[in-house]
Amino acid sequence: MTDREGRGVDIGDLPGARRLVLVAVGVLFWGWLLARWLHDWVLAPDVTGAAAGALEWLAGGVEFAAFTAASMPALAAGAWITVYLTVLSILLGLVIAVPLAVARIYGGPVLRWIALSYTELIRGTPLLAQLFVLYFGLPTTRYIRDIPGVGEGVVPYAAIWVAVIGFTINSSAYQAEYIRSALQSVDPGQLVAARSVGLSRLEGIRYVVLPQGLRYAIPGWTNELVYLVKYSSLAAFITVPELFRAARNIGSDTFRVLDIYLVAALFYLSLVLTLSVAMRRFEAAVAIPGVGSASERE
Amino acid sequence: MARLLAFDDVHQAFGDEDVLRGISVGMDRTDVEVVIGPSGSGKSTLLRCVNRLTEFDAGDIRLDGESVTAMDVDALRRRVGMVFQGFNLFAHRTARGNVTLGLTEVRDIPRGEARRIADENLARVGLSAQADSYPAELSGGQKQRVGIARALAMEPELLLFDEPTSALDPELIGEVLEVMRGLAEEGMTMLVVSHEMGFARSVADTVTFLDDGVVAERGPPEQLFEHPERDRTREFLGELDT
Amino acid sequence: MDILPLQAGDWAFVGTNWWILMQGLYVTVLLTVGSLLLGFLAGFPGGAIEVYGRGPLRSVVRGVGVLLRGTPIVVLIVLFFFGVPWPDIGAVPLGGLLPLPAFEINGQALLASTAALGLRSAAYQSQVFRGAIRSIDEGQLEAARSVGLSKLEAVRHVVVPQALRRSIPGFQNEFTIVLKDTSIAFAVGLAELLTRGFELFTQPAGQTAVVEIILTVSAIYFVLTFLTNRTLDRVENRFAIPTGESS
Ligand SMILES: Nc1ncnc2c1ncn2[C@@H]1O[C@H](COP(=O)(O)OP(=O)(O)OP(=O)(O)O)[C@@H](O)[C@H]1O
Ligand SMILES: [Mg+2]
Repeated sequence: MTDREGRGVDIGDLPGARRLVLVAVGVLFWGWLLARWLHDWVLAPDVTGAAAGALEWLAGGVEFAAFTAASMPALAAGAWITVYLTVLSILLGLVIAVPLAVARIYGGPVLRWIALSYTELIRGTPLLAQLFVLYFGLPTTRYIRDIPGVGEGVVPYAAIWVAVIGFTINSSAYQAEYIRSALQSVDPGQLVAARSVGLSRLEGIRYVVLPQGLRYAIPGWTNELVYLVKYSSLAAFITVPELFRAARNIGSDTFRVLDIYLVAALFYLSLVLTLSVAMRRFEAAVAIPGVGSASERE
Repeated sequence: MARLLAFDDVHQAFGDEDVLRGISVGMDRTDVEVVIGPSGSGKSTLLRCVNRLTEFDAGDIRLDGESVTAMDVDALRRRVGMVFQGFNLFAHRTARGNVTLGLTEVRDIPRGEARRIADENLARVGLSAQADSYPAELSGGQKQRVGIARALAMEPELLLFDEPTSALDPELIGEVLEVMRGLAEEGMTMLVVSHEMGFARSVADTVTFLDDGVVAERGPPEQLFEHPERDRTREFLGELDT
Repeated sequence: MDILPLQAGDWAFVGTNWWILMQGLYVTVLLTVGSLLLGFLAGFPGGAIEVYGRGPLRSVVRGVGVLLRGTPIVVLIVLFFFGVPWPDIGAVPLGGLLPLPAFEINGQALLASTAALGLRSAAYQSQVFRGAIRSIDEGQLEAARSVGLSKLEAVRHVVVPQALRRSIPGFQNEFTIVLKDTSIAFAVGLAELLTRGFELFTQPAGQTAVVEIILTVSAIYFVLTFLTNRTLDRVENRFAIPTGESS
């Protein structure tokens, strides 16, 4: 039902995810340890033939692990930016999205039209183009730079704020669509009932429709969060040193482009898979019996 | 001559639940047999074993003397038609399209000829006017009649009905039973799970009361309904009346 | 540099360079169509395997799907660009046929972008198809089986036609995503629409026309999305199975 508005479905679970993760961690640890030991022995030069081939391959693995370890600090710093970029944007986006969605359903013709145009225009154009408008096109950066405190101490510098603004705007349009279709699946009789006990229309929406509808919106919202983690990588093109740009910088310093992008991919996968597991927990935790859990609604 | 259909000590379990516990019954050509019994007693399973939608665990079922387990399953199903409680019509095909699919794909009949046969069978169930309608445009009774026409077109030797009227509104049941009654008169062999007592009384040759996976009682309708031998049968019939 | 958006002179700059944007649009369309096609060809069987498959094949399909859906598209594009030994097809000549000046694009960037966008799309399309296949009730399959169709025939004649129809909204959504994400081929310098726009406004003469250029580029994407969605709406209505309600 949310198909048409959505940004694509849930990414899903790795088969037998939990066991797989345990096994993967185990294999990584022991693989690394064994390879490391072998690597030390390979340095003793007189190994020949097939054994040498295998050892060389292992040594390659060790080398990759070492490279990964060396790039960890830079990538971790990038990942931190990725995380707060995402979290800030989705929360700010939510603040805009709720009134947008309410306006689309309950607003008068003018409000509805404004909300519709906003969501359609944002969703009909590429995110990268939106970031370019904000960063290269408008004097956004200049204004932000003039705000006292920006770029000092823990406060991120201007380009990051431009990215936050871009992602917030973009995400608000998608979130509004998820929330709209969730609100519409709340039985209209609920609002009538709220009015009949004397609540105003706005109060009815606030205390009766939203608490139910927002629960329905959680699966869409999970998708959006995952989506934003992945697409926050586009901030790299407006100079924000998040995960992808951090990887790209290492790549151009070391010329080991492929290796570093593989590591970056693993980083993103870990973030995304962790998020979807966490969100499923969250969904279960806030579920109310009878107020349809999302997984049943599929 | 071998009986058309013969169950021989058929067993079937799902997990540790014994659903059929030694069924041995038989029927001849042109027989109409009605099976009754409480929910969960194994009636659907019994039917589904015949065309191997369910592969039974032990015992044997023979169609015209030949063990169904030894037959090619698609060939078996071509000889045994089935009508479902929930109709199971193909939603993307018209009434006619529902009937022709088996004709063109299984019996390899050319399209034009298949259409003719389909229309003939739709006429048989009184649906000539609805041939071009999609399932969603038909009433429940009409849907079930399409289901019957679909099975009939394959010229089966035996027709299985699994509660063909229990998903229907009361006022639509009659038209379906009427079609079934007609088929019985034409000499179609039918094995019918149904709790329509009037139908069983007037059409069935034999009524079987299935209870907890075994045949609890079996006999001509007048005997089984008027003078049941077992208390369990009487009790069940009493529940049906209320 | 003073930025005053939307000046007449800047629009004129866009006007004189319209053919550059059209060349970009050409590449964008090529990339979108290619990726969706690849996505369909790989995604449809993928979805079927997720429903009907067994054992290791199914696990592999599901696992690869998760990897493709969990990785940012820009990372996929650079991985395919740097990680796959594409044959060196050099520069690909395009245009000329249309009333467009002929031009060349980087063949390897085109291959890598198509592969990345296409396979990622396959991973999403497989979920659309999987859902559509699952939404068709078992009973119809059983009915087909009981007139004697084999499992494969039953799936082909009963499940596939209905699943394809039910996939249209999901496919529509997927089209929009792929179209917009072709802009990310910017990462490997493929001369698609947004990249061409970028090249325009980073050259000295274009520096005051940034907003005008990006607005034009965005408008083109928007119109493409809009038109294609309307077309697919029509397709959906055209092939809709009557529901009995007048709609
Ligand atoms: N495919 C299956 N897997 C597991 N259990 C099954 C399956 N099919 C049937 N059963 C079980 O077997 C038992 C008998 O089922 P069956 O459908 O044959 O009963 P029935 O007499 O037709 O009942 P009803 O009147 O409700 O249709 C039930 O307890 C049911 O849960
Ligand atoms: Mg039953």
